[in-house]
Amino acid sequence: MEDTRNKQKTTSGKTKSGLLALLKPYMSMIVLLVVFALLGNGANLIIPKIISYGIDAYTDGQFVLKNVVVAFVLVSAGIFLFSYLQAIIQTYASERVAFDLRKKLSDKISRQSFSFIRESNPSKLLTNLTSDIDSVKMFVAQAVASIISSVFMIIGTCVLMLLINWRLALSVILMIPVIGFAFYFVLRKVRVLFKKSREIIDRLNQVINESILGAAIIRVINSQQLEYGKFLATNTEAKKLGISILTLFATLIPIITFVANLATLTILALGGHFVINGSLSLGDFAAFNSYVSMLVFPIIVIGFMSNTIARASASYERIDQVLKKPETPGTGTDTTPLQGNIEVRNVTVLYDDKPVLKDVSFAVKAGSRTAIIGPTAAGKSQLLYLLTGLIKPDSGTIEFEGIYSQDFQKESFHQQIGFVFQDSVLFNLSLRENIAFSNTVTDESLAKAIETAELKGFVQSLPQKLDTIVSERGTSLSGGQKQRIMLARALALNPKILLLDDFTARVDQQTEQKILHNVLNNYPDLTLVSVTQKIAPVKNFDQIIMLMEGEVIETGSHETLLATCPEYIQIYNSQQSTSHYELQS
Amino acid sequence: MNYNLNFETENKAKKRSTFASLKSLVVHLVEEKKMLWTAFSAMLITALLTLAGPIIIGHTIDTYIRAKQFDGVLLFSGILLIMYIVAVGAGYLQTKLMGTVGQHILFALRNAVFNKLQELPYDFFNQNKAGDLISRINNDTENINQFFSQSLMQFMRSILIMIGAGIFLLSIHLPLGAATLSPAIIIWIFTHFVSPWVKKRNAESLKSTGNLSSEVQESLSNFKVIVAFDRRDYFRKRFAEVNRYNYSTSVKAGVANNLFMPVYTFLSNMGQLIVLAFGIYLITQGSFTIGLLISFIAYVTSFYNPLRQLASLWANFQLALAAWDRIRKILTLENNMPVVADRESVTSSSLLAFKDVSFSYPNGTEVLHRISFELERGKTYAFVGPTGGGKTTTASLIARIYDPSKGTILLNGCDIQSYPHEERVKKIGFILQEPFLFSGTVRDNILYGNEAYREYSNKKLAQVFRDTGLEKLLERFDRGLDTKVDDTGDGISLGQKQLIAFMRIVLRQPDLLILDEATANIDTITEKLLDKILQKLPASTTKVIIAHRLNTIANADEIFFVNSGKVTRAGSLEDAVNMLMRGKMAS
Repeated sequence: MEDTRNKQKTTSGKTKSGLLALLKPYMSMIVLLVVFALLGNGANLIIPKIISYGIDAYTDGQFVLKNVVVAFVLVSAGIFLFSYLQAIIQTYASERVAFDLRKKLSDKISRQSFSFIRESNPSKLLTNLTSDIDSVKMFVAQAVASIISSVFMIIGTCVLMLLINWRLALSVILMIPVIGFAFYFVLRKVRVLFKKSREIIDRLNQVINESILGAAIIRVINSQQLEYGKFLATNTEAKKLGISILTLFATLIPIITFVANLATLTILALGGHFVINGSLSLGDFAAFNSYVSMLVFPIIVIGFMSNTIARASASYERIDQVLKKPETPGTGTDTTPLQGNIEVRNVTVLYDDKPVLKDVSFAVKAGSRTAIIGPTAAGKSQLLYLLTGLIKPDSGTIEFEGIYSQDFQKESFHQQIGFVFQDSVLFNLSLRENIAFSNTVTDESLAKAIETAELKGFVQSLPQKLDTIVSERGTSLSGGQKQRIMLARALALNPKILLLDDFTARVDQQTEQKILHNVLNNYPDLTLVSVTQKIAPVKNFDQIIMLMEGEVIETGSHETLLATCPEYIQIYNSQQSTSHYELQS
Repeated sequence: MNYNLNFETENKAKKRSTFASLKSLVVHLVEEKKMLWTAFSAMLITALLTLAGPIIIGHTIDTYIRAKQFDGVLLFSGILLIMYIVAVGAGYLQTKLMGTVGQHILFALRNAVFNKLQELPYDFFNQNKAGDLISRINNDTENINQFFSQSLMQFMRSILIMIGAGIFLLSIHLPLGAATLSPAIIIWIFTHFVSPWVKKRNAESLKSTGNLSSEVQESLSNFKVIVAFDRRDYFRKRFAEVNRYNYSTSVKAGVANNLFMPVYTFLSNMGQLIVLAFGIYLITQGSFTIGLLISFIAYVTSFYNPLRQLASLWANFQLALAAWDRIRKILTLENNMPVVADRESVTSSSLLAFKDVSFSYPNGTEVLHRISFELERGKTYAFVGPTGGGKTTTASLIARIYDPSKGTILLNGCDIQSYPHEERVKKIGFILQEPFLFSGTVRDNILYGNEAYREYSNKKLAQVFRDTGLEKLLERFDRGLDTKVDDTGDGISLGQKQLIAFMRIVLRQPDLLILDEATANIDTITEKLLDKILQKLPASTTKVIIAHRLNTIANADEIFFVNSGKVTRAGSLEDAVNMLMRGKMAS
């Protein structure tokens, strides 16, 4: 916490200029925006002048209706035109900035590593891409033009008032610093509360998100009331905070109004005095009244906009942090085709400073079959993640064909490794797109993959066959179907190396046997690395790696392990009671 | 029932229930009645004072300044000062109280939405994308919040001042007043016809925001596949698409929203012109004075300035309405799984019975056909069969995650639908195939929804864990009960998640325990331990085990074979294995 606060302090100056630098490519639009804003507001200033001219002309007996009407209508039409043009450009500019920033951010995220996404937390990135960008958008849409035109309005009205009667003008202008101070003090407090309220909103969102994603378990346990309680507590806090923010504004607004009213009072008393002693015309007196009301509004606008700016720069800072994150070292250039020779040397992986893999070393020969066995939370999945480059080792090296894995060109590398994840990940796409999830998949390899994964019958049973859309969480599919789709996706690549993460967990024994058999027949050169709980299907694998608490305990064939590794024997024995049935089947 | 929020089915019955949900919101407002009245009086006072200002100024000009009597000017300046001081107090009260009411409304609205979300059945979450739901609840309530916390008060104040100013204008000089107000009628007509169009554009823009967030949600949570299959271009392409759509709808909405202000300004300027021209004409006719004209112009500003403010608020209002429509769609949904009031008891020896139960998906595909079976107390049942055969669906029906389309399910001889949810979940424990963890600690997750142990200290809990045999399982977590679970759930493996789900259910001690592939990713040694723990449960506990691994079902008293929507009783384990083989051959 301390750390980030210090960082924020040193970078806050930079991000403000960062926010301005962000606008650079849109300068022509911004200039146009400011020009129209100034034209519109300038025209606004003329209206009271025309009125006062009309009144004075009448008192002098020189009133010409036609002139006044023509001038009035022209100026009003001008205001309409300029202000609508300003609004349109403002909309385009702000949406454009948001669009481009979103694109930039999503491009950046798309180039990042998996561990980056995991560490930066998807829901935070979602906030970056949505509400943070929205507040930057708000800055462009509201703050830029309104601050410039407000400053212009303030200066304009001040100059005009000074020209009419400088003594009266000065006493009116005195209110500007007073209002400025009031804003400064209140907003300083408000900002602290805003920050707190953002945290509370985050917590509210978390409760909502969990109640959506955990909808099933909540209904099974009937813990709706519990969730509601969590929500109510946070919501109550949000309400309290909202009311404290409100109280501050409830104090601020009457004070500003009061100061503005004092200015009106000054005009009446002092201006009245000047009219009485003849140094101010009645028309000018009326114009002064109009100018005061014109002066108050832009001051309030600047006050509130300073808040918008503060929010936008805080948001931009968060976006900028993501944009400035170093990218995963670019892809290597080596396109040596993989055979399946893998060498893992002294690899250690830390998670939260705790090792999940400790000094792991092993080798896999091309075309061989390797099984990884070990208890729950031994680091088996992490080992597969490591092989496919999803996570990087904190120390140690991984080589394929004697070349460091990071030296490979990513595209060709990933196309040669098929990974079947433990949990099912399905996209809201057609079944065909879910399985052929790579540009290189041909119809032929797709058909082969579907057949191998024993999905043919299932696909045939669907009314729309491969064009059936899979819903987001794949809820209409059974666990086994999902898992086989995942396998087909990996096989469709025609991979040289296939990584299976507990694939057999959700597929029944017969299907599993058939699938393994199919894989051997249809993909004879495949190098297989399989994380599994069951020994029987991997008995005749070339090697079995026994992993426990992140460490490789023993490596060898089934027979070797049975002879040397007590932990393996224990697992083997735990599965003995059923082998009798498996043999029968 | 159709729970898809993006599915357009607007009928009268729904509209009526919309009204009901609005009414429930207003009910909360009634509690604030006193506050609302005070706020209203304060508002009235400020409005009156704001309006009285120009009249006093006009009067001072006419009577004293033009007559060159400075004493009178001072006197009325003093009166003004007092008025302004009163206005400070009234202004504070008005903002504070109205704002508080606004906050209370928002509070009630959020609660209502969340409550509804809890009330809806699981099907609702199946039929909607998580990202879209999150966007509806976060973004759309925020839009309504913006309106309530920032605009509502100004809105009411503006309307009040406008009405007051309008009355003053008409009462000072009826013809001049009427002429001045005539542009306002054009504004009203304009607003009336343009608003629906603006609201529609805002609705489209909100929808595209929902799309954007569900796209990001999907891609980021599936990022490992995107990386492993090197499909970063997929994410970029999909995102570019929703981003472009969002851009075009937002620009359209922005152009529409920004139309109000220039039109209102133009017409309000026309109002001023009418006052000036017509007023001077009236003065030449001798029925009006210069002083009155100056204050009249001031009134015209107090009438048209709030109207202009309304213009900018109106766009917010349209946005809030569009957001409200989206939220309302959730609020009007009804739970189609009510608790049936009458409970007809049939004396039955079995704990649970399926009687001719069929189940179909909302799209009409039938997945279970007329199933009947009975489960007795204290026995262990295994449900086996090929994937996609209907095992999970059967289990979900037992736990009443869904209701059957046809037939009845009896629990202790009574229709399962007649049990209050609380009572039902106490009797039936269901470990889901895909475990979900809440952010917090392992302890929070194990004791989730468990009132009995909530207040227990870790020390006392340790004793409970020893008694139930669960303590060994805790060793799989590096900080035991205090191991942190963050909101991404990473750092905890799938096997560990399954262990937590297991411990949670064991501590609840249900009459009927369903394990749906609940230990699929747990190693076989730990699995043996789980078996032992299950043995320790009271002898009357009925267990339903769904598994592919034969060892987990070896101890079953009875085996049911589930395939293509049918449940068949298998004589023995071998029988089941044969069926499994044959079933495979057939499919």
